[in-house]
Amino acid sequence: MTDPATYDIIVIGGGTAGCVVAARASEDPSRRVLLIEDGPDPRPIPDVVADPKRQSELILESPYVRMYDVERPDGSSFPLLSGRIMGGGSSVNNLAVVRPMARDFETWSAYGGPDWSYDALLPLMRAIEADPDFGDSPLHGADGPLHLHRGYHLDDPADPPVRALIRAAGDLGLPLCHDLNVPAPYGVCASPYNLKDGRRQSTAVAYLEPARQRPNLTIRADTMVTRVLLEDRRAAGVETRSSDGELLQVRAPRVVLAAGVFHSPQVLMLSGIGPEEELASLGIAPRVPLSGVGSGYQDHAVVYVTFQGTTDLRETYVIPKVRLIAKSDPSRDVPDLHVFMRPSIRMEGMPPLLPVSLHLLEQRTTGRVRLASADPSDLPIVEPALLEHPDDVAALLGGFELVRRLTAHPALGAFYGPLLTPAPDTDPADHIRESYITYYHGVGTCRIGPADDDGAVVDPRLRVHGVEGLWVADASVLPTVPHANTNLAAILIGEIAARELSAG
Amino acid sequence: MKLDGTIDIAAPAATVWAVIIEPTDLAACVPGVRDVRRIDDRTFEGGVRASVGPIDGDFEFRSVLTRAEFPSDLVVEVEGTDSVTKSRVVAHIEAALVESGPAATTLRYRAVVTTKGRLAIIGEMVLRATAGMMIGQVTRCLRARLEAPTS
Repeated sequence: MTDPATYDIIVIGGGTAGCVVAARASEDPSRRVLLIEDGPDPRPIPDVVADPKRQSELILESPYVRMYDVERPDGSSFPLLSGRIMGGGSSVNNLAVVRPMARDFETWSAYGGPDWSYDALLPLMRAIEADPDFGDSPLHGADGPLHLHRGYHLDDPADPPVRALIRAAGDLGLPLCHDLNVPAPYGVCASPYNLKDGRRQSTAVAYLEPARQRPNLTIRADTMVTRVLLEDRRAAGVETRSSDGELLQVRAPRVVLAAGVFHSPQVLMLSGIGPEEELASLGIAPRVPLSGVGSGYQDHAVVYVTFQGTTDLRETYVIPKVRLIAKSDPSRDVPDLHVFMRPSIRMEGMPPLLPVSLHLLEQRTTGRVRLASADPSDLPIVEPALLEHPDDVAALLGGFELVRRLTAHPALGAFYGPLLTPAPDTDPADHIRESYITYYHGVGTCRIGPADDDGAVVDPRLRVHGVEGLWVADASVLPTVPHANTNLAAILIGEIAARELSAG
Repeated sequence: MKLDGTIDIAAPAATVWAVIIEPTDLAACVPGVRDVRRIDDRTFEGGVRASVGPIDGDFEFRSVLTRAEFPSDLVVEVEGTDSVTKSRVVAHIEAALVESGPAATTLRYRAVVTTKGRLAIIGEMVLRATAGMMIGQVTRCLRARLEAPTS
């Protein structure tokens, strides 16, 4: 069945970047834009999504999070997560607003050319944000759609554990970092969040909400895109499946795929765009051979270290206030770790346990996302290939040493007792390999690069190689995982895609 | 998640065995376990209360002794559900006793714990964090109960 309505642009996926693309693309009233989201679009936005105090409930109990089981080399498993609701990851994440570092743009420029440099993209980064503390400056914007909020500034009065962390880190040489969205942040950093009046500013709120009343923007939620329609080597629209199973073909000359790091490569492969042999083995007729689709996955490995505590550390003590942006080795030029002091675990009959999480901001290997089957409802299989390079494990071991020194400092030592995990009589490298999870910051499965690069899926302007009228616009285009949370990078990519659509 | 290790107890193997196959005796040594209910000779149920940051949850479980051949073949299957996410946790535990002297026994254990559902997001971190301390407390409790006081 074919939809009688036609559109100029179809955006697949109302995630972090997709909401940006749809909102920006529909600013031109002459364009008819259709935004299709697989998940729900509840309005008003449920309190469990909007209220950051309910973050744990959102992740652990709400229907808006999707899990992908992945295996470690030892056969154990852990879940990756994505948001399955309008706004995608920006509707379920921890609300952190962290820019990629200047070094990330330098790396991406090697794949995407000078348009991906820090200087070239700084105007877009400024245009995204409304930063009440640093806005209207050469680095920051004051009137963009995304509101930032710092609930804590480093010179504010703080609870004893926060003061102790700042003091211990300072004595170890970590400088105060009042603004972590500078080109090269480092040290004890105040954490900014996308909050306004205490409510989450997902891209569904900051970008899509003001655009919803436009007559040229149509939004379809609870609708799965099963494939991109191709005519020869040109995108001609999409095939969708509604929640009641009805298949519908929708026509448009321009299609923007923004389904996220797991599902953008899935939709491409289901459309016959991808590694030929893999597609053929699943009974999918290859239409456009593109071996890089699904490959190039990178993420941030996370490992927990746990201490016996002398007291409870509550959520409000540390988490929303301070993060360490640190180096696993003092001789490094770029910080490669985020470190968070986590709230306590309490169990009857036991003293409080105090975890510290280490987040490695680099991955030296690449994993992949592949199809489980040709059925669009089957979740793709993710093979993250984390910590397969010994230097990645060594970096986390360097992080362990930093945490050991921090917690041994007299200021923090008042709260942190003996190390429990990894047990002192075990090899910490084994603990790292057996227990790592991720920061949920996957990238790279449709990465940018020139046409003669086997791993590239899109060109620097986000156009899929070998297909006219098809773009990818989400974190999957990033060639390497940034030294930062990925939400702001995804918003930036949405803005880049919108600019490219306007350029024709 | 896999756990393995040994616990040395200065008591005869038969004495240790009598305690570890008796559900209520063993449960009394595990910190935080409450409301223990004996269902039959091989089965007991109970609960554990735990908090992670702002999340408070109860974990209700059933433990079944599926094999008990003295001294080297003890298998226990534990299955439970948490009150917050309704996730399922399954543990397969194997234990064996090795007599290392007239009144000295080494308890070897291996456990494989699998979490299915949303609890997997934080469950493994909590299990890893608590396992070492829990095993330490079980060890101290068993020794206190089984080892003859030294004069």
